[in-house]
Amino acid sequence: MTPEELERAVKMASTINMEVYYWWCTAVMVLIHAGFLAYEMGASRVKNTLASGVKNILAFAFTVPAFYAIGWWIYLAMYKGLSPDFEAGAAGVPWSMSMGPNLGDNATGVFWAAFMMFSATTASILSGAVIERIRLSAFIILAIALGSFVWILAASWGWHPTGWLTTRWGFHDTAAAGCVHTVAGFFSLGVLIQLGGRIGRFNPDGTANEIAGHSMPMTVIGLMMIIVGFFGFLGGCIIWQQNAQWMTIFNTPATLSAFAFNTLMGFSGGVIGAYVMSRGNPFWMMSGALAGIISVAPGLELYYPPLAFLVAFIGGCIIKPVATLIEKARIDDAVGAVAVHGATGFYGVVMVGVLASGYPNAGEAPPINLGGQIGGAFVMALLGFVPGFVIAYVLKALGRLRVASSVEELGLDLAEIATHPYPENSTPATGNGRERLAARAT
Amino acid sequence: MGSPIKSWEGATAYFTGADSPGMLKAIFVLMLLVAGFVIFNAMRHEKRVTRKLEESGYE
Repeated sequence: MTPEELERAVKMASTINMEVYYWWCTAVMVLIHAGFLAYEMGASRVKNTLASGVKNILAFAFTVPAFYAIGWWIYLAMYKGLSPDFEAGAAGVPWSMSMGPNLGDNATGVFWAAFMMFSATTASILSGAVIERIRLSAFIILAIALGSFVWILAASWGWHPTGWLTTRWGFHDTAAAGCVHTVAGFFSLGVLIQLGGRIGRFNPDGTANEIAGHSMPMTVIGLMMIIVGFFGFLGGCIIWQQNAQWMTIFNTPATLSAFAFNTLMGFSGGVIGAYVMSRGNPFWMMSGALAGIISVAPGLELYYPPLAFLVAFIGGCIIKPVATLIEKARIDDAVGAVAVHGATGFYGVVMVGVLASGYPNAGEAPPINLGGQIGGAFVMALLGFVPGFVIAYVLKALGRLRVASSVEELGLDLAEIATHPYPENSTPATGNGRERLAARAT
Repeated sequence: MGSPIKSWEGATAYFTGADSPGMLKAIFVLMLLVAGFVIFNAMRHEKRVTRKLEESGYE
């Protein structure tokens, strides 16, 4: 083998390794959706179980063609703000030679797929918040808007090597807490304000009633599956280099080892914080795991692991009080999406400014600083909230946002899905042991 | 339709069924139309279900 042939072989091996790496990150990320599926179905009452599942599956399915149609172009072209760079975006239009089978391009498909899974994640975050009363068609429209336009515009601004938030403000968010979680959480908030609560959720005096899902175990297992999928998600947040050290999306050096330390510290701190605040409620504990990881995600390669634990602990502590505040505002967030994703995404982005200011960014970009992080967090929150609120307002004005009260009371499964989640009627929620015991006792 | 290439030698991008830019864009638009039609149909289904429930006297 000549030196040139050897060089070509090494280069090709590295290219294939990169392709394989992102392929498996994408595969692991599918577990996020398996988790959201179980999570939402468990959080629904029996009469809405399948409708919640169908909604979640369709969120995934519809964001794929929509993200192919426009999402990748937005990411490549919109990094300067609202004026597109058509030259940079050319590789992302659906008729580009990179956007399909191409023996000369091993990268675009796997990167597109990884980003696509991020899109589906944002849609799933919304999906849980609006269960049991949103129209399926309205949800699909909102999921497409969030998954294929809104979050990816935020990513182009703040999760891109030359995004304006980084080049002008020094914004740093290694594992996409801002553009994925803050944006999706605040988009959900905008939708929830327009959508209103489920029938029976709030009393005329403003107090709230708990509407328990039919299967807490299904919800908790779903949340744990999301944690497994998170490892694929976080793996997809680091850039493979040909024969060189890994980089963040901002072209600063990083290692997967740093990610490993701090992801697990994030999990641990978040669970323990939520355990304290919820007095051991498993739903909030597993939500705390998500919140903990999201809290440390913006500085995933930077934190000393015990510091990551503390950041995550506070992240785990804040979700329950934030959810209570949202409930007091008569906003019915069925799964705590605004608190877990919106609030902790915001908090995590700001904490990088508090704790890691001064780390250099690549090129001419300013170093990480508190002002840039706070400004970036507000940009993400507004970029999520405004479109969610406006699109939901339009759908509501057209009478297309919410199912009729008769459908809601009967249950979406019977009305619209026409099949049963538990045909043998054996689910604990309908053959409730506690009710039987109570009946026997009386 | 069919193969856009005659040999794998030197082949790079190969988009089956799209051997011209016009065809490529037509298939792309068709994909969007199919997805859009399904959403439209879901809206019709929801409207029909609500009407049937109201007609059956379920409030």
